[in-house]
Amino acid sequence: MIIHSSDQVSRARFLKRFPVPKNFGVPAESRIVQGRTWPAPEGARRVKVFKIYRYDPERGTNPRIDTFHVDLDDCGPMVLDALIWIKNKVDSTLTFRRSCREGVCGSCAMNMDGTNWLACTRFISDLDAPAVIYPLANMRIIKDLVPDLTHVFAQYEMIEPWLHVKTPDPEKERLQSAEERKQLDGYYECILCFCCTSGCPSHWWNGNRFLGPATLLQAWRWLTDSRDEGSEERLDRLEDPFRLYRCHTILNCTRTCPKGLNPGKAIAEEKKAILERRS
Amino acid sequence: MTHIRPRSPNIQSYRPQLTSVLSIANRITGVVLSLGGVGLVVWLVAAALGPEPFSVVQGFFASWPGQIVLFGFTFAFFLHLCGGIRHLVWDTVHGFELASIYASGWAVVAASIVLTAATWIASIFMGA
Repeated sequence: MIIHSSDQVSRARFLKRFPVPKNFGVPAESRIVQGRTWPAPEGARRVKVFKIYRYDPERGTNPRIDTFHVDLDDCGPMVLDALIWIKNKVDSTLTFRRSCREGVCGSCAMNMDGTNWLACTRFISDLDAPAVIYPLANMRIIKDLVPDLTHVFAQYEMIEPWLHVKTPDPEKERLQSAEERKQLDGYYECILCFCCTSGCPSHWWNGNRFLGPATLLQAWRWLTDSRDEGSEERLDRLEDPFRLYRCHTILNCTRTCPKGLNPGKAIAEEKKAILERRS
Repeated sequence: MTHIRPRSPNIQSYRPQLTSVLSIANRITGVVLSLGGVGLVVWLVAAALGPEPFSVVQGFFASWPGQIVLFGFTFAFFLHLCGGIRHLVWDTVHGFELASIYASGWAVVAASIVLTAATWIASIFMGA
């Protein structure tokens, strides 16, 4: 099956997860245990089962999978609606981030049926039965579906995501032609939801030193900006066996980006730019 | 609070996609090819040692298990070769649209199957 845009949900029904043991390489505190099953709403005619990752730091117990029954006739069409429905009607302790509910803020990024996306722009009808909701993959979890993004934001900070200039400030603003502005298209739209970084196997294994697709896409956003004068230093900072070159062009990033951006291409541009300045 | 924050699952739950499956397949076939290289050296050394050792090694490769190993090696060779060409194209920053990524991915799979089959059909008809 050819995927034309990242919002296409895979219809493949075989091999839903890699054939590795459930607790493959999982440290003791991260092992997932059986949770509780919440009763189905009374009188509901269309019910969908949701299996949701839960972790409560105050209990000091392992994460668990709780089972919820959502009344689809009483609930909006998106996965975020289902989560809000559960929080309002079943278990008010269910914790998740959300803000804009329209795919602009990136707060509700999570793993649904094994792929990362925004809960507010994923239809409930696109999920399997039962629907499986996890937090973003490979993140330290603060509570339930809320990941600790400290590390990935620290990596983002490392590329110094602001304009670097050497020439003195002009009288007014720094101008850009329409063509120069066009260079930023496909890069400036990143909302830092970290769906891509969380879905990148290279970042799973080397996330402490590999910057990950979200940060590297942002790095290209500044490298390709005609007003930025710090390209040399930016490339110096990227030219490292781990920071940039742990990318093996797996391209899970481009497959999962909820904004339809292309981190894989941005990284290829960076590798090429480093080659070109050598020659 | 002394409990360490748990890490959410990655490989244990992330859905296999053509992107990640072909990536890991490229790596596995690379390992297979390295091991196959050892097999090739064993075969050549046996040939250099004389007819006796050579017939032993040749006998293994002619047996059923040997033929399965050779068949797997042929497929690994073509998958790694086609995957490598795909990576070379990517290095020129071409073919990064999602549809191209999927089209080239399936093309690698199809080409490997066809080339493997063609190699074996040819070798059978040539009586190798």
